[in-house]
Amino acid sequence: MIEVNDLSKDFKVYHHRKGFFGSFVNLFSRKHRIVQAVDKVSFTVARGEIVGYLGPNGAGKSTTIKMLTGILVPSSGSVTVNGYIPHRQRKENAKHIGVVFGQRSHLWFDLPVQESFELLQRIYRIPEAEYRQNVEVFEELLNLGDFFRTPVRQLSLGQRMRADIAAALLHNPDVLFLDEPTIGLDVVAKARIRQFIQRINTERQVTVVLTTHDLDDVEKLCKRVILIDNARLRFDGELTALRRLLSTERLLSVDYAEAYPDVSIPNADIVYQEGARVQYRFSPEEISAADLIGTILKKFRIVDVSIQEPDIEDLIKTVYEDNLTLERKLAEPLSPDI
Amino acid sequence: MKSLYLTFHVYLAFARKSFQKQMQYRVANLAGLTTNFFFLLVQVFVYIAFYKASTEPQPLSIDDIITYFVLCQASLMLMPLWGGREIADTIKNGSVALQLTKPVDFQTYWFVDECGRAYYYLFMRGLPTFLISNLFFTVTIPQQPSVLLAFAVSMVLAIFMSAAITITIFSTAFWTLDTTGISGIAASVITFFSGMLVPIALWPEWLAHIAGWLPFGGLIDIPFSIYLGKLAGIEIWIAIGKQTAWCLFFMGFGRVLLSRGFSRLVIQGG
Ligand SMILES: Nc1ncnc2c1ncn2[C@@H]1O[C@H](COP(=O)(O)OP(=O)(O)OP(=O)(O)O)[C@@H](O)[C@H]1O
Ligand SMILES: [Mg+2]
Repeated sequence: MIEVNDLSKDFKVYHHRKGFFGSFVNLFSRKHRIVQAVDKVSFTVARGEIVGYLGPNGAGKSTTIKMLTGILVPSSGSVTVNGYIPHRQRKENAKHIGVVFGQRSHLWFDLPVQESFELLQRIYRIPEAEYRQNVEVFEELLNLGDFFRTPVRQLSLGQRMRADIAAALLHNPDVLFLDEPTIGLDVVAKARIRQFIQRINTERQVTVVLTTHDLDDVEKLCKRVILIDNARLRFDGELTALRRLLSTERLLSVDYAEAYPDVSIPNADIVYQEGARVQYRFSPEEISAADLIGTILKKFRIVDVSIQEPDIEDLIKTVYEDNLTLERKLAEPLSPDI
Repeated sequence: MKSLYLTFHVYLAFARKSFQKQMQYRVANLAGLTTNFFFLLVQVFVYIAFYKASTEPQPLSIDDIITYFVLCQASLMLMPLWGGREIADTIKNGSVALQLTKPVDFQTYWFVDECGRAYYYLFMRGLPTFLISNLFFTVTIPQQPSVLLAFAVSMVLAIFMSAAITITIFSTAFWTLDTTGISGIAASVITFFSGMLVPIALWPEWLAHIAGWLPFGGLIDIPFSIYLGKLAGIEIWIAIGKQTAWCLFFMGFGRVLLSRGFSRLVIQGG
């Protein structure tokens, strides 16, 4: 569905001189520096996938999305979406994709939502029956009814975002690009949008590429994540694989039947102990969770156990901050199921 | 053929929406109407005083002058640069890039948007201004259907030209982030050379000659000269041909500027 090969984008940033004389000099001088926004990124996305495209501020996420949607011409490398080259076959590509930039609205500021939708129906030449059906479904799933006849400039951020997402899907696109679709929204609004995206993906097989800084979005929606940092691809794989790759340590909480005096277990450190409740830290590379629990069961009677996965937020933070570690890890051969 | 019809349909819808958009600012329009009328009074009284003081025969009668300025005020909002801020704004704030994700042609889109706006002001500002003026002044109305027809054609061309000029000027926002300078200069040049301040018929010959080589007479001077019956027969055809040529020129020029602007946008990211 999407193929990206060695995709790069660099921007020339011109040095601006201030003042009257400066602006005169600006006309002639071409002094600039180059900002590498995306550097040789490659990945493919299959039909029906939801991929989280993640990275810190300035990593190059939006720049990549812009190249995938035909808004920017790559400096080098290739992109195809649906078999189209977005920047060359802009209009053709546009008919088959839906785009939402959370920071900006695609709707007509002065027009009620409904009329924006009607214009889109015309633009994309959506047959009347299909249009009606979509509007009905989206109206219900996203609760557009309350503000369907309100001019877009009067909408709250959450309402606007819902309207924008529905607008991007009216023409039944094959691929949906979402650049920070939950930015600035409250918990309820976020949940509703996630549910909606999930549903559209399963029911219509819409491929979704999503950038976000909200890792709950990722956890709820994306099986697969692509991490970029500083313009480079850092990880591409399943979220669970990322977890396994990075989480050298896990926590095991145990509620014992009684407060045993000595609860130490080989290969596991006690993080804290409070009466009958004990928390261990262990590394799956040294001892598997099953073995650890087995060992405990042989020695003591327990009431309850639970294993805590590290937060993906922490995981991703490790990737960004501790990039040497990940580089080393990625260099090691990954097991086939990753 | 069907595809052409569908395309036409899309852009017709844009024009209609543009009309509706303006409908939301009815109060502003009412205020504008009052201002128009006030300016009309000032202009007319100045010219009446001037005509009373002058003894030489003038190329336009005082009734012609009154009618001319009634028409000017009625069509003020159809002139270039009254609309089109949206174009400059979307270019400046970068949201113009989002339009690239839709299968539309920008120039056509903006063009019909401007036409929809002009259409609104024709009926909601121009017509009332014209009708109210009739209560206070003697405004001449052409009696020959052929003159009325030629005027209608010429007026439509004036609106098209105005839209094309507006788009061309505001598309410079791709290069200069501040369009107030260039649009200010353009507005003064256009106001003067279109004949909006002083009818070109009253200008000294050398200046009128310069105006003849410029496009802006096509906005005011040509349609209103036709209306007043100052052009006849072949002259009308030549005038309309001139308007058409300038119209095509600005559309073409605007297209080149826009496509340059967009290719800069997609390469440099704005
Ligand atoms: N038009 C441009 N001209 C110059 N530099 C640009 C341009 N657009 C982006 N950049 C630079 O490219 C880099 C990547 O920007 P991009 O917007 O893709 O980041 P991002 O990953 O979307 O970040 P965020 O999470 O903050 O949205 C940044 O260093 C940014 O300053
Ligand atoms: Mg971004």
